[in-house]
Amino acid sequence: METFNNFLGGTITLFSDPLGIVIFFGGVIGGMLFGAIPGVSMLTLAAILLPFTAHLSPEHGIMLFSVIYCTGVYGGAITAILFNIPGAPENAPTAFDGYPMTKNGQAGRAVGAAVMCSALGGTISAVIMMIATAPIANWAISAFGPPEIFALVFFGLAVASSVGAKTFWKGWLSILIGLLIAVVGLDPVGGIKRWDFGMPYLLAGIHFIPTILGFFAVTEIFVQAENKVRGSYQAPKLSVDFPSLAELVAHKVAVVRSIVIGFFCGILPGIGATLAAFMGYNEAVRWSKDKSEFGKGKLEGVISSETANNAATGAAMIPLLALGLPGGALTAMMVGVFQMHDMEPGPLVFLNSADLVWVVFAAMFFANLSILFVGYMETKTIINLLRIPFQFLAPMILCLATVGAYAVRGLAIDVIVMFVAGAIGFFLRRSGYSVAGIVLGLILGRIGEQTFAQAMQMLHFEWSGFAGRPIAAGLLIAGVLTLAGSIYGAFFKKQ
Amino acid sequence: MKLKKYLASSGMVMATMALSANIAFAACATDSLPASVEGPGGYPERALTMIVPYGPAGGSGQVAQAMAEAVSEHTGVSINRDHKPGGSGTVGMTAFMATPADGYTVLEHIDDASSAHALDSSRPNPAEDLIPLVTSQITFSQIYIRTEEDRFTDWPTFVEWVKAQGGKATIANVSKEGSMERVMMRFITDATGMEIQQISFDKGAPRYGALAGGQVDALFEQPGDVRSFLDAGTFKPILTMLKESPEAFADVPSLTDAGLDFDPLLRFRGFYVHKDAPADRVEWLQWAFQKAYCEPSYQKYNESKYMTLIESYRDTAGSQELITNTIGQYREVYKQMGLEVK
Repeated sequence: METFNNFLGGTITLFSDPLGIVIFFGGVIGGMLFGAIPGVSMLTLAAILLPFTAHLSPEHGIMLFSVIYCTGVYGGAITAILFNIPGAPENAPTAFDGYPMTKNGQAGRAVGAAVMCSALGGTISAVIMMIATAPIANWAISAFGPPEIFALVFFGLAVASSVGAKTFWKGWLSILIGLLIAVVGLDPVGGIKRWDFGMPYLLAGIHFIPTILGFFAVTEIFVQAENKVRGSYQAPKLSVDFPSLAELVAHKVAVVRSIVIGFFCGILPGIGATLAAFMGYNEAVRWSKDKSEFGKGKLEGVISSETANNAATGAAMIPLLALGLPGGALTAMMVGVFQMHDMEPGPLVFLNSADLVWVVFAAMFFANLSILFVGYMETKTIINLLRIPFQFLAPMILCLATVGAYAVRGLAIDVIVMFVAGAIGFFLRRSGYSVAGIVLGLILGRIGEQTFAQAMQMLHFEWSGFAGRPIAAGLLIAGVLTLAGSIYGAFFKKQ
Repeated sequence: MKLKKYLASSGMVMATMALSANIAFAACATDSLPASVEGPGGYPERALTMIVPYGPAGGSGQVAQAMAEAVSEHTGVSINRDHKPGGSGTVGMTAFMATPADGYTVLEHIDDASSAHALDSSRPNPAEDLIPLVTSQITFSQIYIRTEEDRFTDWPTFVEWVKAQGGKATIANVSKEGSMERVMMRFITDATGMEIQQISFDKGAPRYGALAGGQVDALFEQPGDVRSFLDAGTFKPILTMLKESPEAFADVPSLTDAGLDFDPLLRFRGFYVHKDAPADRVEWLQWAFQKAYCEPSYQKYNESKYMTLIESYRDTAGSQELITNTIGQYREVYKQMGLEVK
């Protein structure tokens, strides 16, 4: 009851203040727009706005950032589905099935599912955040250290071979290529240079955003251009039909599973929405009776990814507010907003600034709900972009992707990486390899290597140390069993 | 003016005065500089660019933002921050060195640039290959434990407990070999004879989370970065890596108190311009950045980050001396550690 009263108080404070309402809706729309433009993400918007928050009240400043976070994570789904350009890394798994759905004339269903599931995942996550921030935060950092996070990544990778490749072996080879790309740059333990070929820019590693843009957007343009030249190009069929409620209810297990996964990934410091989306998608594949349907336009793929990444948003606020631990770049910027107002996130915020906390909680709840309405209206209009003929659309997408790749770090090498990835992706796709697997290997590989190194240091370089940590051991065993089952299946099918 | 404490030391970076924040406010180091200076030949005609070799959310990103705003406040000149993270600052430095030496691009960098040059002299020397405009943050490190910790409660009991673990005790630290943090831990373990496993964390949040969640036994960090945990009473410092503890941490043993006889390395952040930039433009930039240090907004920021516990300000000559001495000290240390100094 006290929680509800606090929520009500936060809601009244939020919507009784005209400036608060303007900032709220500005954040909702700004987050969606910046989230939808690849490279120019919600982080860009947040970085631009950061200095201006000094002139806002703490409530308005923090609320603005939390609203941008919720809607920005959703925004990138639209371009992922319509053009195979994930607006942000956390939308990459959405493109795995979302774009094939567009090609199959089901763009409306895919976008509709993204809208509804983003809103649902985010709203439920916000509710859990309101109910149990402090105990969840303390449990998460106590129970989950580097060994557990590494085991989680291993568990996720174990199923990834099923995503998008023609055979099990090509799936694994794709993932291994991703893992190989992930080791370019300084190693996470001793800062040793690896695969830099004497180029200082490669010391920073291959960034996954230009890689994603290359493997998805550029490869797709090349494939469609080839079809155009061969005369086999088919424009995507336009459809604005949203999925029915019954369809979503039919996927209730996937939704609940993704909320749990997304929420869980969100509360781990330094992990966040990207891993959430990939893990949500992977688990959908793992539990599916027909794994081969994924990557070809399965609604469950979109639902799982978009539910999970938005479920991570509320969860990411938990370690930030309860412990002062930002889970990612945007929540780290929120620390800056707090500090501009002589405040620090952490346990004292609940004691000293309870009003602020509840305004933020209420804003996040309504921001996620507003995805449903604003997203619905936005979708009905933006989907018409598919009417643009390919010869005009392709250069626009290439320009957008180039700007996006360069904008990440302002480095020309990122644009080169994007086009190289695009060319490699073009040939890999023709030979049955999975670009999704490569991206998955790249993103999970970097987190996995870092946490593996930390885990081994913590366990004094003894493998048996994992056995003494039940959660890590359980996840590793589950991963090994999944892998063994896949290998057995691959041989069994061959015979 | 009330002078609180002098920190005397044979180490170069320790030749600093400890002044309280309000004193720094009242008589700022650059008050003698003119309030306004006309840019040479209408310079700057457009916004400046500040290359920051780290992300916007970390310590460098924050100090870059605070300094850029302070410069803009008193000169009216905008500064666009261009973050180029990666490679422990190498990417940003390389990008900066490739920009025209026209005085329109400045660089933010930390002491990592000095230690990188100490290890490999082909890397730019910030004191000679660049012109330091101002060093605006100098701070020290501490070792933290959880406040609720009951296995040990202070430095002596911590050392005793670590020794009893036979190398199984852990401390969260940054990952890069040869970094200030790693070198300082080497000093401490050599001096105390304790063996402790350092866990490599690149980012702050997982590092702090590891201590808060009990995944590690201790944490190596600078006080400004964990101020929220100190204010909330979650962490407590058990060793201050200065010869003498500043008043804000008077009850925390210093190196001298702990019987550790080595010169501490400090973390410092500053701003640079190309050495070949036109001299009159460099002069204007020196004035703009040094004067900005005293802007109330910048002083407020430094105070919030515990950057006023020891004197954070160095002008160009002071910065060059600080950097040159630091490079010399790192070279000595690296040779002692058996690292290959090129």
